[in-house]
Amino acid sequence: MPQFDSHFFSSLIFWEVLSFSILFWILYKYAWPPILETLETRERKIRESLDQAEQSRATAEQKLKEYETKLQVAAKEAETLMTEAKHKAQQLLDENQQRLRADTDRIKEEATQDIERERRKAVDDIKRQTADLAILVAEKVIGRSLSDDDHRRFAQEALAEVAAHSKN
Amino acid sequence: MWIVVGVASVFLLKAAGSKSLVPSKMQSMAELLVEFIRGIIQDTMGASGMRYFPLISSLFIFILFSNLLGLIPGSYTVTSQIIVTGVFALGVYALSLVIGFQLHGAKFLGILVPPGTPGWLLPLMIPIELISQLARPISLAVRLFANMTAGHVILGVLFGLTIAGGVLIGWLPFSFTIVLYGLEVGIAFIQAYIFTVLTCVYIGDAIHLH
Repeated sequence: MPQFDSHFFSSLIFWEVLSFSILFWILYKYAWPPILETLETRERKIRESLDQAEQSRATAEQKLKEYETKLQVAAKEAETLMTEAKHKAQQLLDENQQRLRADTDRIKEEATQDIERERRKAVDDIKRQTADLAILVAEKVIGRSLSDDDHRRFAQEALAEVAAHSKN
Repeated sequence: MWIVVGVASVFLLKAAGSKSLVPSKMQSMAELLVEFIRGIIQDTMGASGMRYFPLISSLFIFILFSNLLGLIPGSYTVTSQIIVTGVFALGVYALSLVIGFQLHGAKFLGILVPPGTPGWLLPLMIPIELISQLARPISLAVRLFANMTAGHVILGVLFGLTIAGGVLIGWLPFSFTIVLYGLEVGIAFIQAYIFTVLTCVYIGDAIHLH
């Protein structure tokens, strides 16, 4: 087997050591430092970005909390205002209702009194006219001697007159 | 070997040339490799192992490209030479010994005694551990060499059968070669990975003792 032929050993060892040394030197000098540096830079960048993201998240969370608190305060305030406004509105409504009722009562009272006065006036008028008419009838009755028929006729006439008066 | 050096250098230098944060295809491939090797080192040796990153990653790249380029028909796999893998394995093992003695001095010999070994077992444990230590470079070298050689031998045999079988039954071994080729590409990666992991483990053992 050529693998065990010791004839090539010395030259193989020589070339192997030489070529590996060259490869090692080239990589050591020119390849590994930039690649490692790039990797480290990227790792640092990623870590920094993550840190920054974490920080931003924390800030955002804090802001959110602040806003929530503010919102709660605002909601409470709004509720208080609303309650107050409702209360005031109810009060106004009650006052208005009371005033209206009072007005209505007063107007009704006045109207009733007016009606009552007018009615009384009307009744008085009727009474007076009736009396006048009675006097007139009496005068006529007294002025003449009357038969039973006349009595009846006069009475009827008087009644018709009364009826005509009351119609007017 | 020169081709390996050339192709690997061109690939990685080109990838290293573009330093954009959003990587191009080649850059992300190279970065994937680097991330992969860095992951192996940090898993087995810890953060202090990054000192050896250039050496280990160069070793990985050299073996990976040797394995992969050897799969191109007509080329030759340098890692199927026992002496090539042997030199790498011995080099790695020697390096781990040097690092061990440098960091821990004579205490490094304690690697021969697993922690918690009772005193009366020492005469038995030390020879066993010595053998296991000596077997490390051998197993490292033979594993890579044998895998690469075996893969090529099988491919060679199947191709031989294809030619000998002619059109009538030659398609059967030929279809096997296609499947095996995919397998060999996987093995090229896996063997480079195993070699690198074991290198890390040996150097890591030397750094951390137990």
